[in-house]
Amino acid sequence: MSKDRLDIPDYNTLFSEHRFVEQRLNKQQFEAPCSEQETAEALAYSQSAEYMEKNFNRKAVVINPHKACQPLGSIMAALGFEKTLPFVHGSQGCNSYFRSHLSRHFKEPTPAVSSSMTEDAAVFGGMSNLIDGLENSIALYKPEMVALCTTCMAEVIGDDLSSFIGNARQKGVISEDFPVAFCNTPSFVGSHITGYDSMLKGILSYLYERSGLKAAPGSGEETGEKLNVMLGFEPYTGNFTEIRKILDAFDTKYTLLGDHSGNYDSPATGEYEYYYGGTKLADVPLAANALGTLSLQKYTLKKTQDFISETWKQQVSALSTPLGIAGTDKLLEAISELTGLPIPASLLEERGRVVDALTDSHPYLHGKRVALVGDPDLLIGLIGFCMEVGMEPVHIVCSNGDVDFNDVKFKEEAEALLASSPYGSEATVYVGNDLWHMRSLLLTDPVDLAIGSSHLKFAAKDAVVPLIRVGFPIFDRHHMHRYPILGYQGALNLLSQIVNTVLDELDRNNSGFNYDLVR
Amino acid sequence: MDPIRKDEFDSEACGSKAPKSKPCPRPKPGEAAGGCSFDGAQITLLPIMDAAHLVHGPIACAGNSWESRGTLSSGPSLSQYGFATDLNDSDIIFGGEKKLKESIDYIAGRFAPPAIFVYSTCVTALIGEDMDAVCKEAGDRLGIPVIPVNSPGFVGSKNLGNRLAGDALLQYVIGTGEPEPELPPGVNLIGEYNIAGEMWDIEKLMNSAGIAVTSRITGDARYKEITWAHRAKVNMVVCSRALLGLAKEMESRYGIPYFEGSFYGAKETTYSLRQMAYLMNDRDMERRVDRLTEREESRLIQDLRPYRKILKGKKAVLYTGGVKSWSVISALKELGVQVVGVGTNKSTEDDVRRIADRVGDDTEYIPEGGATRILKTVRERKADIMIAGGRNMYVAMKEQIPFIDINQERHKAYAGYEGLLRLAKELTYSLANPIWKLAASPAPWDKEVPYDR
Ligand code: SF4
Repeated sequence: MSKDRLDIPDYNTLFSEHRFVEQRLNKQQFEAPCSEQETAEALAYSQSAEYMEKNFNRKAVVINPHKACQPLGSIMAALGFEKTLPFVHGSQGCNSYFRSHLSRHFKEPTPAVSSSMTEDAAVFGGMSNLIDGLENSIALYKPEMVALCTTCMAEVIGDDLSSFIGNARQKGVISEDFPVAFCNTPSFVGSHITGYDSMLKGILSYLYERSGLKAAPGSGEETGEKLNVMLGFEPYTGNFTEIRKILDAFDTKYTLLGDHSGNYDSPATGEYEYYYGGTKLADVPLAANALGTLSLQKYTLKKTQDFISETWKQQVSALSTPLGIAGTDKLLEAISELTGLPIPASLLEERGRVVDALTDSHPYLHGKRVALVGDPDLLIGLIGFCMEVGMEPVHIVCSNGDVDFNDVKFKEEAEALLASSPYGSEATVYVGNDLWHMRSLLLTDPVDLAIGSSHLKFAAKDAVVPLIRVGFPIFDRHHMHRYPILGYQGALNLLSQIVNTVLDELDRNNSGFNYDLVR
Repeated sequence: MDPIRKDEFDSEACGSKAPKSKPCPRPKPGEAAGGCSFDGAQITLLPIMDAAHLVHGPIACAGNSWESRGTLSSGPSLSQYGFATDLNDSDIIFGGEKKLKESIDYIAGRFAPPAIFVYSTCVTALIGEDMDAVCKEAGDRLGIPVIPVNSPGFVGSKNLGNRLAGDALLQYVIGTGEPEPELPPGVNLIGEYNIAGEMWDIEKLMNSAGIAVTSRITGDARYKEITWAHRAKVNMVVCSRALLGLAKEMESRYGIPYFEGSFYGAKETTYSLRQMAYLMNDRDMERRVDRLTEREESRLIQDLRPYRKILKGKKAVLYTGGVKSWSVISALKELGVQVVGVGTNKSTEDDVRRIADRVGDDTEYIPEGGATRILKTVRERKADIMIAGGRNMYVAMKEQIPFIDINQERHKAYAGYEGLLRLAKELTYSLANPIWKLAASPAPWDKEVPYDR
């Protein structure tokens, strides 16, 4: 056994070997390197308030973006439905980026196809690509529904999805009763969350209209009394498990509208299938009869929420990601209000246990200054959670925060939330900025912890701040998405992730005088 | 920008002989295809580490791709920054040229790079941005090269993008500088991207044989060294068909002979080093190469012994792009691993011929993708391991198939003699991990249920 043990050095050891160091030095002749002094000066300058101002005045170029584009979100939405094949109408490259992006986060395959438009399509339109694509993909991947969205290329040349699909039916490429839901998702508008919303609304409205059903909210026809629940652009499969647990504790019936947890958490059984789990297509029209809809990402799900309240005439309770104790309390109240059911004792007991855990850890968190990056709904949840345990959000960057809900902008809500606690008094909320801005913030006004996606690791490293990985995408850590962050259990998970990072740092930076066994 | 002439590319693209059919196969609509030309162009140019790389387009192209490739740098890291103009709807209507110009100015002012590469994308090509003009104007004004890379995604495959990037180098970079006087005449490595540091292993070998590298095109390159590539004595096209055009053009423009080679496997490595020395026309160097390769090969045989014992007779399915399909086969053969299935979806006819030279008759060719197709081959041929790229990795895991990542995100360097040893270790490791036994056996209470695989 020991013979087969790997003794392959990784880069860190490999490249600090003498021969590599030498090579590196040799190479400097080409680099026209700056002197050490110049490098030090430039670094110091990048930490200065003067450069920060320049950086924030930068309008044209985005440096290290923290958002993805609409079709990526749309693929995630499509994978929330049973046997549904996401189909991206446009040139092929985007689709392969989306697939790798999602796969690298979830460590799972992402079935999605593209119409592979080329320059002919740019001139003559993408109809024949779309029709051929439908024919090929249905034959190859045998879906029960195709969910079609566009890329910027199809948008710029103005392809009309609905008439193309009509033509495909006329040509007999797809039968009349084969469902093809669709939506427009130009990358130059919005971000991945906009795309998620467009596709979810696209699928719900399409399947509802096709069914010929008339919404009768509260009738519970054929389904009993039911609640609709939407999680939105949800990078945590664990959050689906947790929300199910909570709803089951209430003993209410419910339909998850969009559930990609099956596809992104399938077992290794020795046989791969293209589709796992997902909302049943037949359940979608019936969802129109539910008592009400609970949305857990109100900024993300704008269009879908409007569709449900206007067309299905249901009450919609829209929250941001329910993180922490207060966030989860709101969630339980909303469920209780929509269903008329009392809050179950088991959840109350869980609440007490998690509050206990928070009290255990609070001394290590109190007054810790944190920087936050993420999508709007996640950030609202995180800000709440941080302040709950006495951490102080300082820099908050939301690249795609230019969204509103019922005429309140994300920025306003975030600021109001921060103003509600003394722990929020240091905070500034930046909307539309990127991670190079965040780097300036981290360097000029240091914090203790950074919370955000893997993309933040570069800025965090420059600023020597530990990064707690929360959100999307997380490429460089394994299995984070399997642990819920919402609900009381989620609060506990977030807490242990954060407090143990703080303790690790304490030990790592310890001089030895208080290298304590018990903390 | 000039209209993209598809016919022209198709007719002279990838092969060394005039290809009969389409050399860069086009993706079929409705399939899960690989990357676009934009992606291909970036793969070729991003390893120029000290340059800035600016993506002109909506957020998609850059937002989904920055800093996710395994090409390593021994120094500067500007190339790892994700620069994008992030066009929005009003830019699409009114044009993004102003934004582009401002972006270039900002990058030049703040980061002072030796050069800026500007990439067109589907959108900017479609709305007819005059990127060439903006780049030229900015370059003249700022006094640094600002190089347009016209390779929007929709023109075709990744391979075509590699090629278009090569064209940009020919047009704007190569021949614009002169080497440092003390640099001895040497070899250009074309199409070696320093994934996981492979370039460094190669360079070490060349150094020990006294062969100098003139320009790295482009693994761990500095902008400046590419400007003097035309002074090299030999071009080696390393595992990248798509850049063959670059080598050919340099042959006709500058009279530099080229050869195609690979560093996967000991035989290929030896051949490549010999070829270099031979084309350098230097007897001494040839003798040094002979001594080096003999020594390294015999050492390798020693080192490989324990692994070969385990690997002998193992079967692999190889699913990877283009040239790697044949060059990796050689490496696997040396380890005693039998390739029972090989992907040919991105291979040219030349590649397929070379594959055929290297595998037996009963090897299955997998012409196009789709996980099912690959998996079917693995199962039918009773393969022990799958060697492919990251997007297929998780499918393999579902099917409980041992897996090795061979594509651009890989974290291990497999080139040269040491690389082969690493590959051997990695294969053994992947095959021997106890998880496969656990994964393949049913839960104890289900033991009597027959379970194959
Ligand atoms: S296909 Fe076009 S839009 Fe998509 S990533 Fe490639 S260049 Fe960008």
